[in-house]
Amino acid sequence: MHASSQFGAIASADLMPTIELAERPEAQGKDVAVAGVRKTYKNTVALAEISLAVARGEFCTLLGASGSGKTTLLKIIAGFESPDSGSVRIAGRDVTQMPIADRNIGMVFQNYSLFPHMSVFENVAFPLRMRRLNHDDIRRRVGQALDLVSLGELRQRLPRELSGGQQQRVALARALIFNPDLLLMDEPLGALDKNLRQTIQLQLKKLHHDLGLTVVFVTHDQEEAMNLSDRIVIMDQGRIVQTGTPDALYLQPDNPFVAGFLGECNFIEKPGCIVGVRPENVRIGAQIGDSDLRHDGQIIAATFCGMHWKLFIKSHNATMIAYAPVAGASSASFEPGRTVSWGFAAADAMEFAVQ
Amino acid sequence: MAHLVLDLPPSSLAARRRSSPALLAALPLLVFLLCFFVGPIAGLLKEGFVSDGALSLANYRHLIDTPIYRIVLGNTFTIAFFVTLSCIVMSYPLAYLMATVSQNVSRLLFFAVLLPFWASALVRTSAWIALLGKNGPLNTLLTSIGVLDQPMAFLYNFTGVMIGMTHVLMPFVVLPLYASFRAMDNTLVQAAQSLGAGSVGIFNNVVLPLTSPGVVAGGIIVFMNAVGYYITPSLMGGPAQRMVAELISYNISEELNWGLAAALAGVLLVTVLASLWTFNRLFGLDQLISGSSGKGASAAPARRTPGGRVSVVLGVACAIFLLLPIIVVVPMSFGTSDFPIFPPPQYGLRWYTSFFDDGKWMGALFSSLRVGVLVTVLATLLGTLAALGVHKMQSERKSWLDALFIVPMSVPAIITAVSLFYLMAPLGLVANSVAVVIGHTVLASPYVYITVRAALRSFDPALELAALSLGASWPEMFRLVMLPALMPSLVGGAVFAFVTSFDDVVMALFLTSIRNRTLPKLMYEGLAHDFDPTVISASCVLIGATVLILLSNMLLEQRKGAL
Repeated sequence: MHASSQFGAIASADLMPTIELAERPEAQGKDVAVAGVRKTYKNTVALAEISLAVARGEFCTLLGASGSGKTTLLKIIAGFESPDSGSVRIAGRDVTQMPIADRNIGMVFQNYSLFPHMSVFENVAFPLRMRRLNHDDIRRRVGQALDLVSLGELRQRLPRELSGGQQQRVALARALIFNPDLLLMDEPLGALDKNLRQTIQLQLKKLHHDLGLTVVFVTHDQEEAMNLSDRIVIMDQGRIVQTGTPDALYLQPDNPFVAGFLGECNFIEKPGCIVGVRPENVRIGAQIGDSDLRHDGQIIAATFCGMHWKLFIKSHNATMIAYAPVAGASSASFEPGRTVSWGFAAADAMEFAVQ
Repeated sequence: MAHLVLDLPPSSLAARRRSSPALLAALPLLVFLLCFFVGPIAGLLKEGFVSDGALSLANYRHLIDTPIYRIVLGNTFTIAFFVTLSCIVMSYPLAYLMATVSQNVSRLLFFAVLLPFWASALVRTSAWIALLGKNGPLNTLLTSIGVLDQPMAFLYNFTGVMIGMTHVLMPFVVLPLYASFRAMDNTLVQAAQSLGAGSVGIFNNVVLPLTSPGVVAGGIIVFMNAVGYYITPSLMGGPAQRMVAELISYNISEELNWGLAAALAGVLLVTVLASLWTFNRLFGLDQLISGSSGKGASAAPARRTPGGRVSVVLGVACAIFLLLPIIVVVPMSFGTSDFPIFPPPQYGLRWYTSFFDDGKWMGALFSSLRVGVLVTVLATLLGTLAALGVHKMQSERKSWLDALFIVPMSVPAIITAVSLFYLMAPLGLVANSVAVVIGHTVLASPYVYITVRAALRSFDPALELAALSLGASWPEMFRLVMLPALMPSLVGGAVFAFVTSFDDVVMALFLTSIRNRTLPKLMYEGLAHDFDPTVISASCVLIGATVLILLSNMLLEQRKGAL
């Protein structure tokens, strides 16, 4: 693939760019399959029999708290760790024992891992030099890549002379310039401030679309996962808890863990089961329909969130969270100490079996 | 003088006025070094420019014109160069290994590096001589498994000198290199791998550029030390490996040609000072003071590169190389035969008995202990005071004093020894141990100075101000706040001072007589003239003492770390 098409999306990063979607080309990425992978460190089980297939061109996010095993899984796919058992296949080829350098995987590291003693140009040229490309090709391709990520002017700078966002773009250019079969990203946006993160998320999504990259992305930020992913894999204690599209996971979580991890959720214990209700489905006062379940509670606190009021209601020795519409409400109507009635439609309740 | 300090507010004006009491604290060491280091060396060097009672360059011209001197000078630089090279080459795998294994294994490797470093030059040399001799264990092993047809000559040639000197000087490269490896972000190696670099590519493009400052720093120090080496080349090398230091000694004790010896010392001193100057320009003498040991941020890589696996094997081999003579010599000392054999056919305490029963050996041991204790007290006092003084000073004077207080450590002991001999022998100070105590104090006080100075730098000055603002007088503050914080380093410095004195041979050769000779000097005589196996048991006693001292110091540091 031609370098210019790869970097079409990454314009000057610090402003939200106008984005035009290109025709989606033949997917450049390959599919990845992890089968029965197990990894233990001394006495701790980091991964317990993980199997996961990522399709060509899919943006798949591993989401979990620290210690959930998401980074270990990523490192096994990259080849930085070898699994105790199980296999990793890229495009059907078993790469479990293959040296990292031969796997043709692009990786963006958490702290970017730019070589501190090399200029921006040399960093991006590095994979091409390792692949013994001739001098002119390297200069041309790196030049194009840097121009397209708007870093052409900075090609002679050292990494420490760049801002966080610029370093991020160098890391991305370096990971993509050799047309990898797979792009792995280990919490790559963690070090950036919120606005910049959003801009880069959008560019990443566009890049993924335009190039048909296969991306495995690791994060602990559920909002980032929902923004970016075709599919989210939720991990906990070395296991996959549930996989699915962001909306499927949000609307039909398999268990209370997923419901609580992805977005906010109220849990109500019932004999034999647990009922989960999203705060946006909790109705207050006059909104409660005739057929709804109805309870009384006391407002503990109310915060204004722009889209809605967020209410904390004490009821049956538990604290419920409810989003109340902004229209027709004021801080006086949610004064702490007031008694309110709350309820929800049976259809909005998510029922989980007690584990 | 302390009262003057505490009543002043911490302003720049106060700092300027503070300098005078600070200078007073640094004065004792300053005067001591001017009298017993700078002065005597200047006196010696002057001899180099005097010929037949008149100022001339005849001695230096003689060095250039006489082939044998040209050859020895050439030898010295060649050997120093190759020793530096082999130290660097061998340090890479070892430092890599140390930086990438678990903490306990790493600690063990540190011990392997530091033990030969602190073990006396004589102990190491006698161990190597016992190990590498024609009938030594290594030749026996190699001939019996058929690698060699007949014993190979490892000793009294270039190989012997290389082995002996690399062995002792390696730590100077290993330690800074270890720090560079620890400071290097491990994901850089992973990044290079994922971008398609093989082991060679990773080493050339990532590891080498990022570790080269540490290597250059260590290399300069090795070179500086190697040019002035005396004991190891004279005992393990042959006539073709004579180095400048040996020639200086020969000119003084055999030829009584002070002019030529002084000219040789001049060449040596210029080389060393030039190396030190280069080091200062590149890294700053601060590096010697801070003595960083790495931040320890990067974790061990879970999956080594193929090159990494090869390095591990090589690193283990290097660690064995460092420990081997000491491991082998201990069982040998428990042999009963007339000549040391490994493994001994029969174990017994014969050579320990001959060590502990012989008045000659016991006298030397007690002489060593007495000198060691005196030197420790003197060096600790002078070094600590000077460190406190310089710490309080403004920056312009600081760097000069720092340099002066560190230099005695870097100047070859042979030069200091000969200069002091020149000054003190006529005064009769050699026979009563005053000369050797002074010489060892010159050698040892930099160690105390450096450790205490480093501790003072990491001491939070706000604590001092807090204590003073809470009503403590400066002496009270020092006793209750500063001293407890400095204590571990002070003890560490004192330990270094003792070990430096206890292990020294070169100074003792010149500055003691047959009546007050120290243990290393007696061992040297035992090795240089006819081989007395008691040297081996004496070595083991010294190794035991060094291990004990090092271990207690390590435990102390651990406790400091835990606090």
